[in-house]
Amino acid sequence: MPNLALRNLLHDRLRSAMTVAGVAFAVTLVFVQIGLFLGLLDNASVTIDRIDADLWVTSRNTPNVDFAHGFPETLVQRVRSVPGVARADNLLVQFLNVALPTGAEEGMLVYGLEDFARWGLPWKLESGDLEDLRRGDFMILDASAERRYGPFAPGDYREVMGYRLKILGRSLEALSFTTSPIAFIDYRLVQRLAGERMSGRTTYILVRAEPGADLAAIRAEIGARLPHNDVYTAAEWARRSRGYWIASTGIGLNMYITVFLGCLVGVVVVAQTLYTSTMEHLKEFGTVKAIGGSNLDIYRILGLQALLAAVVGFAFGGGISAALAPAMASIGLKLIVPTGLTAAVFAGTLLLCLAASFVSFRKVAAIDPALVFRA
Amino acid sequence: MPTALPLALAPPSPAVASSRPVLLAERVTKSFRDGREEVPVLSGVDLALAPGEIVALEGPSGSGKTTLLSILGCILTPTSGRVVVDGEEVDPRRPGRLPEIRKRSLGFVFQQYNLFPALSARENVEYALQVKGQRGGRARDAAARSLAAVGLTDRADFLPRDLSGGQKQRVAIARAIAAEPPVLLADEPTANLDTRAGAQVLDLFRDLVRARGSALVIVTHDANVRRIADRVIGIRDGRIVAPPPAENPT
Repeated sequence: MPNLALRNLLHDRLRSAMTVAGVAFAVTLVFVQIGLFLGLLDNASVTIDRIDADLWVTSRNTPNVDFAHGFPETLVQRVRSVPGVARADNLLVQFLNVALPTGAEEGMLVYGLEDFARWGLPWKLESGDLEDLRRGDFMILDASAERRYGPFAPGDYREVMGYRLKILGRSLEALSFTTSPIAFIDYRLVQRLAGERMSGRTTYILVRAEPGADLAAIRAEIGARLPHNDVYTAAEWARRSRGYWIASTGIGLNMYITVFLGCLVGVVVVAQTLYTSTMEHLKEFGTVKAIGGSNLDIYRILGLQALLAAVVGFAFGGGISAALAPAMASIGLKLIVPTGLTAAVFAGTLLLCLAASFVSFRKVAAIDPALVFRA
Repeated sequence: MPTALPLALAPPSPAVASSRPVLLAERVTKSFRDGREEVPVLSGVDLALAPGEIVALEGPSGSGKTTLLSILGCILTPTSGRVVVDGEEVDPRRPGRLPEIRKRSLGFVFQQYNLFPALSARENVEYALQVKGQRGGRARDAAARSLAAVGLTDRADFLPRDLSGGQKQRVAIARAIAAEPPVLLADEPTANLDTRAGAQVLDLFRDLVRARGSALVIVTHDANVRRIADRVIGIRDGRIVAPPPAENPT
């Protein structure tokens, strides 16, 4: 049977292309904006997500993993003695300065542990051996640092806080929200590099519970033994770290505004092109009414046109977003589009396009079928 | 074909007299509100059509022809009076019922053809049947029969833009008759056609109406329509009047 909605779309190809382009633009905007936002947020908690710890002990009110401040490192002994704790180690996270061969100085976010392999940090190595880190003034630098520091290779030296450190290897995917490159350095060496300020101090205690242990009880016990610290599960700490950037930097608001604008652009384009198309086909809709069609018949046509534009526009927008991901990655930006987001954007696209078609429908619903008799 | 044109105003045709009218209007009035003023457009119109009867409705612009056609076609409701279409009385208090009557009992042919430009001739007819509730093979067969009846089987897959004016009007007629409605309403169906195409369309109307027994009302300025009409009715200032004298048809 003839599908008037589909045939009208195919008949008005230029207008249909504009409608689809509007939807695709909006979908791309939403995917890219939310995807980049999720990528940035992922950076904000990627080390927490990857480190194999059940609990994190932090200084009181530490806002996020990057902005750590110190407390006595000996507190780790109290944690290790808590029943159910399998392992507890100090972790130092510090911003240090690195001198580049160009003479410039840059910031660097340093993670210091005594045994990196035990905690699964860094989780992906391009080159180098974690066991070698404790054997001298060495570091493993994330490959993403090349964008800030210029090219480097294992065996190169860089000056960190006035000390020459040899680059042992390169890690992958260790990014920070602040975009400062991440380096992995032996715990004691980090203390030395940070100077007197961090002497005998740590910034976190990582806790791994014994299999089957009651994590809530361990947490409560640690809280009781370290009353001036906070204790979080890994999930809570990751959420807190991400939440800090959303709430305190305006990035969340920026994302919401852009997503809103993307949706608005999509709705306006779809509504406007459908409306213009409807105005041009007004006599046809009048004819549908004259031959006995109801408003529902007409809304089926308009709604189906909107849905077809939504599906095709979504496919194009999704395709463009997927194609953009590698380009973004090449400049150090992560585009994360989870399945849930894809489903939500698809559903949103359908709904908004249907809503946009309603503008036209209101016009058509009010037309007098007697217009078919006008020349 | 009648040789003397029947220009009867009041007396119904013999067919009407002998059978139940398929379309009936009694004392129909219609007025529109223009600001605070009621403007009467129709005043006490009576009309009855029997199955198989062709009535030409003639009148100058603004005389109320189209308003009467809209009321007979259940597109407008009368301000007062009574309209019965195929045995169902139109109830102005139930406007939701009008599309049902149009769907079931009426076929329209418009001056501008009003074909769907994105659909082929066959699809135009099929779509109308779809709106009227016929689908699938039944609708396909009915569309094919209709197009064959108007002599357009070989143009069934043409888009309207690829058809001549006469062919478009024949597609419009095929669309109007496809569901075999008892009443056909045509608004200036020959106005946009040249003399030859117009004559062909009128012959087609006559043959179809005779063959199918539908009633046909043709609103027209075209004197040639009288050639096929059983009755010619004049309308002026919203009232049925004696039809204007016959001009020499072209």
